[in-house]
Amino acid sequence: MSLKRAVITGLGVVSPFGNGVAALMAGIEQGRSAVRHMAGWEEYIGLQSLVGAPVDMQDEKRIPRQKRRSMGRMSIFAAQAADEALADAGITLADEDLWRVGCVVGSTMGSAKSINDAFEIMLPNKDLSHLNSTMFFQCMSHTAAVNMAQYLGLNGMIVAPAAACASSLHAIGTAYDLIRLGRQDVLLCGGAEELHPTVTGSFDILFATSTKYNDTPWKTPRPFDKDRDGLVCGEGSGILVLEEYERAVARNARIYAEVVGYSSTANGFHVSQSNRESIGVCMRQALGDAGLETQEIDYINAHATATLQGDQEEAEAIRDIFGASVPVSSLKGYIGHTLGASGAIELGATLKMMEQDVIYPTLNLETVSPDCDGVYHVLQQINRPVKAVMKSGFAFGGINAALICKKL
Amino acid sequence: MTEQEIIDKTNQVFEESFEIERKRLVPDAQIFSDLGLDSLDIVDLIVALQNSFGVKIRNEEKVREIRTLQDIYHFIYAIKNGEGTSDT
Repeated sequence: MSLKRAVITGLGVVSPFGNGVAALMAGIEQGRSAVRHMAGWEEYIGLQSLVGAPVDMQDEKRIPRQKRRSMGRMSIFAAQAADEALADAGITLADEDLWRVGCVVGSTMGSAKSINDAFEIMLPNKDLSHLNSTMFFQCMSHTAAVNMAQYLGLNGMIVAPAAACASSLHAIGTAYDLIRLGRQDVLLCGGAEELHPTVTGSFDILFATSTKYNDTPWKTPRPFDKDRDGLVCGEGSGILVLEEYERAVARNARIYAEVVGYSSTANGFHVSQSNRESIGVCMRQALGDAGLETQEIDYINAHATATLQGDQEEAEAIRDIFGASVPVSSLKGYIGHTLGASGAIELGATLKMMEQDVIYPTLNLETVSPDCDGVYHVLQQINRPVKAVMKSGFAFGGINAALICKKL
Repeated sequence: MTEQEIIDKTNQVFEESFEIERKRLVPDAQIFSDLGLDSLDIVDLIVALQNSFGVKIRNEEKVREIRTLQDIYHFIYAIKNGEGTSDT
């Protein structure tokens, strides 16, 4: 059986820079930071990191109430990103065989705000009678995928990988396999996540958050920098339209790139720490899947969240495989770590960089940390042909993922 | 509680919880066919009415007989005036 080919024909994003891919790219191009001091977070006893990259939600009431009522913030972001992605792809769902159109959308968990609200309603008096009918649909793990499919009226597969910060790369990798196997013709794929003090808190208690820049939030996170002190949580959604190649060509679709390689590995040794060896194997396997040599990769969009340990392990893995020959940058300095959405949002930005043959630098990377040295860090904008890229993402649980896209 | 107070509070529930314009909230409006509520909305309607009027009605058999806004006004009026389930 010969495998089909999978191409990306549409992009949609809701990011801390606002709704739309254009808003995201404008923020990155202008070197702005979307990180803010989070008013009110001081109320959480023990929370050291008081910064975040929030989305200013817009136009949510355009989603019909009976579709919106089961959506937490992340599902609204996903629905809005999906609308943009479909429009960008030139796909009108009314014209499609909807049994062949599905979605693969991941997140760390259900809506953090809704989960918190449900507990606050239910637990003080152990009283369930004040819970509304749709709270569960906002809280369940596959909430973003289900709500998107319901909103759009899809009849194809609904898949919802939950792999924390690697969720959306898992989603795109899974969609890539499903398209290649011929199980679906079109898949909306990516991830969604939302910012909440309890989410930042889960990293904070592990000393993984940035805590020194609460009064100067635009200076953090600082991926690969000597003064980095941890990650900053963000929120949003990135959705890609992944489509079978022959079909895309037949309808004269604009094709951003073909997904040519994917891999995911587990480190098998620690639930919260990443390690260079398993990251390296993941990257090598993705290269092998793509049939590409290291010198054929023009840019690596790193996971690099600005944690002390994670950035070092990632930089070492890149150095082991690519040396200092391939430009590397992280987008976390602009929009924080959008967790389960980060892979798709950042891949979307990477595909726009490919389209424009430009590579944007790592914001807040001023002095490369000695433990992250030996790779080609992008400190200023580079204008050069970008034909093939690698996007990586790593997650709690020892999960690694790497995806390779190539222009046709 | 007067009948008008009950009408106003009930209509407020429909405006806030179900985003229905006040001009559509006429007494003989059918909750399902005219106002567009569905089975999930009915669960939320019960929660909202319980919160708004301080009553417990979830397990009331008469809830199942409600078809119009007028039915709700009468149902709540009966409860608030001691003709049905007691206040919480």
